[in-house]
Order: sequence, then structure tokens, then C-alpha cells
Amino acid sequence: MIERWALVSGLKGDLDTYELIQKDLKKTPGNITLFVLGDMIGPEKNCNRLLHRLINPKSNDLQPWCIYGWWEEQILLESGYRGDQRAEALRINKGEEVVKSLTNAVDKSFLDWIAALQFGFVELDCGLIHGSSKDVGENLTLDTPPLTLLDRLTRLQVNRLFTARSKQQFHLELTEGIVNSEVEDLNGNRKKEQKVPQKAVIGIGAGKNYTLYDVGTDNTQFVQAGYKTEKRIKGFGRL
Amino acid sequence: MNQAVISCLHANLPAVEAVLKDIELQGITNITCLGDLVGYGPQPNEVIELIRDKEIPTCQGCWDEDVVDGLDACDCSYPSQLAEKRGHFAHQWTTDKLTTENKDYLANLPYSIRKDKCLFVHGSPNSQHEYLLPDMDAFAALERVENARAEILFCGHTHQPYIRELADGSIAVKIKNSVPKDTQEKEIQLPMRRIVNAGSVGEPRHGGTKATYVVHNDVTNEVKIREVEYDIELTCKAIIDAGLPPIFAWRLKNGFEFAEQAEDASHVCER
Ligand SMILES: [Zn+2]
Ligand SMILES: [Zn+2]
Repeated sequence: MIERWALVSGLKGDLDTYELIQKDLKKTPGNITLFVLGDMIGPEKNCNRLLHRLINPKSNDLQPWCIYGWWEEQILLESGYRGDQRAEALRINKGEEVVKSLTNAVDKSFLDWIAALQFGFVELDCGLIHGSSKDVGENLTLDTPPLTLLDRLTRLQVNRLFTARSKQQFHLELTEGIVNSEVEDLNGNRKKEQKVPQKAVIGIGAGKNYTLYDVGTDNTQFVQAGYKTEKRIKGFGRL
Repeated sequence: MNQAVISCLHANLPAVEAVLKDIELQGITNITCLGDLVGYGPQPNEVIELIRDKEIPTCQGCWDEDVVDGLDACDCSYPSQLAEKRGHFAHQWTTDKLTTENKDYLANLPYSIRKDKCLFVHGSPNSQHEYLLPDMDAFAALERVENARAEILFCGHTHQPYIRELADGSIAVKIKNSVPKDTQEKEIQLPMRRIVNAGSVGEPRHGGTKATYVVHNDVTNEVKIREVEYDIELTCKAIIDAGLPPIFAWRLKNGFEFAEQAEDASHVCER
């Protein structure tokens, strides 16, 4: 049977969307693994029902494999799970109100579960993370310099990096890379040509927009929950 | 004009004096220091005061940071428990010895210094504790320089001097899963960039016993590694007299780092 991954992020407490996705996936052929790449919570709505469902899947639910995202990082900061630091960046950028809404949106009983979530998964030669391998808050997009993308892939030592933070859906392949390195030290000179094998960075989308990845063929499909149509991206933008 | 870049002085006064003399003899007045003024060596106050006296712009090194903030790096920077113990001992000894004024000086050192196209840091633009090794992944190395918006990145921390040029680079990219297909491929040329490691004045780990530093000519862009002899015996005696671990003297005299290099030097402490 075809092995597929469903990659979801940015649900931010939206149980309805999660249920739509679960429903979709039941109709999707193949052996499907569901990954939720962070931002299960957010300040906009109460997140307790979704969290409860993720932790206690219904009998016919696909088991979700979750990592933490930027919003989880904020609540962990604010709740003292990261030492003396608090969610100052959030406070400065969005104000005290949003910090309050966030902490109100999540029952404290879920915090230990959130704190136990991993930064990312490495499956086969793929890295599954929320932001980048450098920072949970880093946006990787089609406009990110390829050198930066390559570095983020190298840090995890993977060939494909699935990222969610930008909310965008894209599949960017780094088809070829070359650079000449010459080192001079006290032992003399050495030259080396370094090449990179094909690698890719995949933006999985957020909320209703999620991604199906066919492990065998390396093909992505950008899907909107509840719609059968495939969403395709348009062009390079400012690259 | 020539500029000299020195790093990792490590409280070794005879070595610092010899290097500054060598710089002076070449008529070079423009000097930048990449930190680690203290740690391991027996003359922390003397070295700081000499650098302050000469008004040499200095970045904060990993030791300078740790002596001020308390040990920040995790045990991962030490390869063995013995090495860790010695490192901690040297840390405590240095903290006890430093005057309040000199501690303040170290605390207020900048993380990096920028002069036109040159960026000066201790470890890497990411961290004082990151090692930019001479043979690290070329793209990752280039990314460090490029993301720091520099043409030449001067660093230290590894105690091994080198000059690395990264040139003629390119990356081809293609958008998969999009329409229309024909406009979706591009090749991006990467700029030529250099990483220059100044080695170490006071704690060389290049296989020899000489202090090292680099000279950069900003017109020709030429970089030269300089090796300078100094009175090692004098430093070794001061290490023993100060009650610091004798192995610190032994390795200066024998010119290599004895079992003190972390296995995975690319590891960056996140603590
Ligand atoms: Zn050093
Ligand atoms: Zn250092």
C-alpha cells in the first residue's frame, strides 16, 4: 500500500477543522501517518477541546503525532517552563491582551503534555519541524535565500525539510549546488569542490490548508480540508 | 593598509607581549582582538590591562563571557570529566583573581565588531561557543558569512589559524508541484566570501608552540598567518607558581592540545 504522510499545522484550537481533516483522511487511499507540526493552540479560541482530542483520539481517528510550534513555545515561556524567560517577544509585538488570551485559551492541565512535545521529528531522510532547525519561530518561504535553506537542511542532516511556520504551501527543490573551498593553514593549501545532492524544503500550510506527502514518489499534494480540489501555488514571487 | 587580528590570548602575558611587538615591528597600528583574554593562563589582569592600555578593540570571547556570567557552556564542550574539572578549576581561579574593574571590562565587551566589509567575532556570528572548523561544510560556512552580511569573517575560538576562501558557488532551485512549469527553475550565484581564523596568541593548538595571529591587507585583500616565538618557560613557570594545573604548562611546552578537544566540535551548546 502507498505510504502517505498528512502534514497539518496551525489548527489553533480549531476542532472543527481537525475533524474535517480526519474525515478527509479516512477517504484518502494509502497507509497514512498524521503529523501535526505545531500551533495546535493560539490566542483566538479556547483550545481545550482540540487538545483533549489530540491526546485522546477517538477510536476511528488517525493517531496524530504532534510537535510543538511557535504558540506552544509562547505559552511554555509564559508559564515558566523555560527558566526565567517569559513570552516577551509576544508581549512586545502583540500586547498584554494577546498574552492573556493565550494563557486563558489553554487549561493548565495541558501544559505538561505541551512541554513534553518534541522540537521535531526525523523520519527517513526528512525533517519535520514547525519553523526551522535553527528556531521554532523562523519563517522559511520561497523567498528565503537558498543558502539559508541549505544550512537549515544541513543542521538536521536531512534531505527534505517540512516546515509550517510561514503558513505557505510550497515545494522547493534545491536541485544542484556547488562551491569551491580553498583552505590555507600552517600545513599548506588544500582545495575541495563541494556539491550538494538534491534536497527540498516543503511548506505544509496552516489550518484548513494541509499537505499530503507520498513517501515513495516524493510528490506533494496541497489540500484544503473539506474540498477535493488541489491547491497549487503560483510562481516564484520575489525569489 | 595592513591590519592585525589577534585572538585567544588566554592570560599568557609573554605571548601577548611578543605578538604586540611583532605587530609593532611591521608598523601596523590597526589591531582587533577576538576575545578570550583570560582562561587557562596565569596573568589575566595583566593581559586585560595591556589590551585596555593599548585601546585595542576587542570582542567578547567564550571565556570572557563565562567568567562574567558564570559557566554558561554545558559539559559538552569538554571531552572528558578530567578536562572538564581542569577547565572549571581554571574558571574559578580566574574569577577569583580578576579585579572588579577588569570583570566589568569583560562584561561590557561587544559580541562582534564590524569594520566595512569585515566582521569580527569570537566563535561564529551565531555564538561565542560555535567552532568554525576549517573543513566544515562549505555551504554552512558560507552561510555564516553571508547571513552576517560580511565579505570577510574573522573568528578565533578553535585556536587553529586558517584562511578559507569560498568561491564560484551556485545553487539551482526548482519549484515542484506548481503551474506553470516553465518559469519555475532558477540558478542563484553565490558570492565569494572568506573566513579567517586568527588562531591563538596564548594557547596555540596548531601542533607547534608558536603564538599565531593574522595580518590582513585591505587593499590587496591578502591575509597572512604569522607565527611568533615567545618565552614559553616564563609562562610555564608562572602557571606552576600560580597553582594552576601543571598540564596547562605541559601542553604549551609541547605544542599540542592534549585530549582537550571535544569529539564533536561542531556541537553548539544551546544552554
Ligand atoms: Zn580561546
Ligand atoms: Zn573560545
